[in-house]
Amino acid sequence: MLKKKSLLLIVLAIVALALVACGTPDDGEDDGGETGEFMCPETWTGLSAELDAACRGEYDGTVVVMNGPFTDEDEVKFNESIADFEEWTGIDIQYTGSKTFETTITASVDGGAAPDIADFPQPGLLLGFVKDGKVIDVSTFLDESWLEQNYKQAWLDMAMMDGIMAGIWARYNAKSQVWYPVPEFEEAGYTVPETWDEMLALSDQIVADGDAPWCVGIESGDATGWPATDWMEEVMLRTTSLENYDRWSFPASPEERLPFTSPEVLNAAQTLSDLWLTEGYVYGGTQAIVTTFFGDAPVPMFDNPPKCWLHKQGNFITSFFPEGSVAGQDYDFFYLPPIDDAYGKPYLIAGDIYAMFNDRPEVRAVMDFFTRGDSLRTWLASGGALSPHNDAALDWYGDDVERGIAELVANADSVRFDGSDLMPGAVGAGSFWKGMTDYFSGVVDLETALAEIDAAWPSE
Amino acid sequence: MESLKVRRLLSSIAVNGALFLICFIWTIPTLALLISSFRPRDDIKSSGWWTVLPHRGWQTTEELPIPEDMTRDEPITIEGITATYDEFREGVVSEDRQTQFLWVGNLRSGRIEVRERKWGVNWDFTFENYGQVLAGKTYEITNADGSVSIVQGDNFTGAFLNTFTVAIPATVIPILIAAFAAYGFAWMRFPLRKVMFIGVVALLVVPLQIALIPIMRDYVSLDLNGTFLAVWLAHTGFGLPLATYLLYNYISGLPRDILESAFIDGASHFTIFLRLILPLSVPALASFAIFQFLWVWNDYLVALIFLGVTNSDIQVMTMRIQEMTGSRGQDFHALTAGAFVSILVPMIVFFSLQRFFVRGLLAGSVKG
Repeated sequence: MLKKKSLLLIVLAIVALALVACGTPDDGEDDGGETGEFMCPETWTGLSAELDAACRGEYDGTVVVMNGPFTDEDEVKFNESIADFEEWTGIDIQYTGSKTFETTITASVDGGAAPDIADFPQPGLLLGFVKDGKVIDVSTFLDESWLEQNYKQAWLDMAMMDGIMAGIWARYNAKSQVWYPVPEFEEAGYTVPETWDEMLALSDQIVADGDAPWCVGIESGDATGWPATDWMEEVMLRTTSLENYDRWSFPASPEERLPFTSPEVLNAAQTLSDLWLTEGYVYGGTQAIVTTFFGDAPVPMFDNPPKCWLHKQGNFITSFFPEGSVAGQDYDFFYLPPIDDAYGKPYLIAGDIYAMFNDRPEVRAVMDFFTRGDSLRTWLASGGALSPHNDAALDWYGDDVERGIAELVANADSVRFDGSDLMPGAVGAGSFWKGMTDYFSGVVDLETALAEIDAAWPSE
Repeated sequence: MESLKVRRLLSSIAVNGALFLICFIWTIPTLALLISSFRPRDDIKSSGWWTVLPHRGWQTTEELPIPEDMTRDEPITIEGITATYDEFREGVVSEDRQTQFLWVGNLRSGRIEVRERKWGVNWDFTFENYGQVLAGKTYEITNADGSVSIVQGDNFTGAFLNTFTVAIPATVIPILIAAFAAYGFAWMRFPLRKVMFIGVVALLVVPLQIALIPIMRDYVSLDLNGTFLAVWLAHTGFGLPLATYLLYNYISGLPRDILESAFIDGASHFTIFLRLILPLSVPALASFAIFQFLWVWNDYLVALIFLGVTNSDIQVMTMRIQEMTGSRGQDFHALTAGAFVSILVPMIVFFSLQRFFVRGLLAGSVKG
């Protein structure tokens, strides 16, 4: 008996020791500058009062807690990008990434433990918090003329939600790229298409040569179907006006909304369907569309010789390409061509908006820092992010492909945000995914699928 | 007599054979995980773990250039075999079934591979997955000035220790409380005893998810959120109903005579509990300990809500494993090694306590 009790005591003692060892937060070794001296780059202009104070070391030793969805490699790149700023100001930005960010942020905000700053890849999710009055209006302390100088107006407009500036755009990724394997493509004598018809002709040519032109896969676990929604948005932008796209994805009022059952959306869906369901166009046949993991979809492109030749996806997809393949050498991209010249060359993007939940001076300073290209510089050089900031120079990008994308986006006739991320969650992260999946798996016909998607739109 | 023996022998062979087969089938997923964890990333993505076993397949022995000026419709003859392009794409097998002619690629840039049927194994093993898990992945970071630095990602050690720190008290605390409670419900007489016990049992059906946000609000106001104490208390609360119920079943079934004679000898409730009940209920305690430990060890949600959102230094292993797969799941091969490291401890715990486990489960259900 005594033995058991002492055993228990030992266990408890070990636990207590472990606690002491793991639980104590590290004492920050702050080597920020002395108060008064301006440590940040002299080139920075339009500083808010808080950022100026932070650069003089006034918030040395404070902690800003940040949550977001990026983990692993992206988390490392983020931490490296902010390291200089932490050194200049002595502010410790503690970032925690979680792949279930959408769930945890709701729990922590509702539970009253909101992080100081949160990174939202889906503005639709942020809008909910804005409506609940949880989000701080950043325009109250950021210098207006600085924002106008460093962001295109479209970015600032997209940050306005429910009458307040709900956050600042920190990064984006571009979607309108079609990737192809360069050496084999050139060897086969194919040429990069400039128009939709040329692209269809190229597809027919590849079919005639015995291959499937397109690598398509929309499987993604719970989120199966999202690559199809990206495609839908691309085709929408190329077959109808920007006003219609905005009315479709982010209507200002219920009366203005362009429903999924409208002829414009039906036309876009039909165009996409014609591309994917044409016999022989998709590698593995049409039944493979729904069952192929989106990350595995481009892999046959890198077989020798390629099994499929074209793959449209956001710039993040390069992390799924086989190890050792070189941008610009083994693969490259072309812009998904326009369908109707009347709508120019639109570019589809998605991005991350940083929103602020707790109003403290050091949090304000950090938010101001994120309005500057310098907050992304290391990330751009390491690859994997694109900068919405005007002061981020093109030569900061680490590889030609991302530089090329950034240049294309900067010169695009119009830029629009991923519609499914703007739509209410029930549609954009629900029925839209499911409807597209149902249609391409052959469960329902197109009209029924679109009607199903539309039925989920909240009536308010 | 003889036939009886033979029949017994046969039936025992049949039973043991069936058990062995079931065990084997149940072990396959673990075995597959173990094998996969030693395979390189590209192999995991392109072929199944069973290809490490000897199997017969086509192996390329020769490559032929494609004939010029051919069209899709007309048959061609290669090495004495006549077929159309589309047939060659599917693979044409020679008459003795030992050679296959396969057109790889398309009409423009393809080649013809001559393949022979051979036995082979895919024995390309690596420790890289375990390296990434145990030492942390390395990332190449290009600095703003163009220099490249290598950054070491988080490794498993911290998360591993954190999981222990969470799991041990979260197992011990509910057992202690539940053993006291079960004794009280079983052997002490006090008003509303039945009602309170029904209340405890009723709590079994409450899903823990609905309690997360209210508890979190309380934790925030008590400044407990993001501490180990918060997770211990949460796991204790969620584990108590089952623990109390399980231990009550066992303790109430202990022979009344022993306890009565102890009472007559003047033992207090506390002495009886410590000297009689605890030693007698070791099987039940152990079986619940296994339950609770495994549950806490594998828990993701509770730890994520109460620990993980605020600080990555106190992450538990389930969260770490999930992060290892990369922001978009591009590194899911790391999951194999990570998962295997994480199931080692539960396996050790289970195998070392399993004899209690079986006894405890049985003893709880059979009164007497």
